[in-house]
Amino acid sequence: MPEKEYQRLTRARSRSAFAVVSMTRSSLWLGKDHLLCVDSSGYSETYKRFYFRDIQAVTVQQTDRHLWWSAILGLLTFAFFIITIATTPKTSPAQWTGDEVAGGIILGGITALFVLLLLVNLFKGRACKCFLRTAVQIEELPSLNRLRRARKTLARLRPLVVAAQGELAPEEISSRMRSTAGTPPQTSTATAPDAAAAPPTTTLPPSAPPVMS
Amino acid sequence: MNSSLVQCPKCQAWLLEGVFNQPELSPCPACGVPLQIEVFPALFRNQSVGRSGEAILIEGESSCFYHPQKKAVIPCQGCGRFLCALCDCELNGQHFCPSCLEAGKNRGKIKNLENQRTLYDNIALSLAVYPLLIFYFTLVTAPAALFVAIRYWNAPRSMVHRTKTRSVAAIILASLQIAGWGLLFFAIAGHRF
Repeated sequence: MPEKEYQRLTRARSRSAFAVVSMTRSSLWLGKDHLLCVDSSGYSETYKRFYFRDIQAVTVQQTDRHLWWSAILGLLTFAFFIITIATTPKTSPAQWTGDEVAGGIILGGITALFVLLLLVNLFKGRACKCFLRTAVQIEELPSLNRLRRARKTLARLRPLVVAAQGELAPEEISSRMRSTAGTPPQTSTATAPDAAAAPPTTTLPPSAPPVMS
Repeated sequence: MNSSLVQCPKCQAWLLEGVFNQPELSPCPACGVPLQIEVFPALFRNQSVGRSGEAILIEGESSCFYHPQKKAVIPCQGCGRFLCALCDCELNGQHFCPSCLEAGKNRGKIKNLENQRTLYDNIALSLAVYPLLIFYFTLVTAPAALFVAIRYWNAPRSMVHRTKTRSVAAIILASLQIAGWGLLFFAIAGHRF
């Protein structure tokens, strides 16, 4: 059997948060020397190739989307549970009419569906947005919309990019960033909590043009 | 996009340190949104300047097919024309002239340049399945599904799904629908005469 040219990294996810409205679904595939982003409308596919040698950065940003979905699904579950309880006849099940049984099954089914969706949402974990940067573009990768999956994909991608480009020492990153920004390099790199507490001078304002070395 | 600086995707602040290549999420120093940013050496690579062809200095020297005043440096591997440094388009170690590259892209001969494909197998399957909801439509759509599935049997499929299952399913379903209509017409005709 011939070796497959592409290995699936992520399943197709909608490009829009409203999956019913948007028909375009995006998935990620791993090629020999590139990452393939496939946008499928069902009847045609468009391909974007990101060669490992060209990938400059991958940014994962945690979002609150999973919390919103949990809240919405929790509310719906609760509402349908209340409706199901309220409409259940007070008599014993043996005395229920056919309509009452059918109503109970339908409402119970809808409640169970929302419970299932809520559990799936909770199981998938924290939501995120993922961006891939090259010299000429910053592309959002919609199929990496959960943190766990994004990390898993990044862990798989990292050695391939390192093999194509070489490794970057952590202390080298800050000094190069600072030299690019035109500020003197510091000897110690701020840790995450320090960075959070650092004065705004560590970043340039959004309106400032990028400083070229 | 030519800067080596990375911006926070939420607040667009330039990030200088603290959030790069960390094993866990780190807050953006400006807005506090949790970020994990993996940077690679390509971020700090200098952008190479595009080459331009060298002018011919000695008479009789091979010249570029497209720019007769420029020195030829390599032949096109598609058509054999001599190319200057400006016209030399390198793709996966092969050298092409712009017109061969364009032709290769249009004909789908250079796979790495293809950025779109029509999924005829999906179209055929949809034509065979969705009209079943309103069965009368299948009188028209079943032959159409069969036509699409057979006409584009050898057309390139998706780059990532390579089986012919959908086309086969479309042919079977469409054939069954056509056979069903045939039997129906046969029964009506037999009943009448």
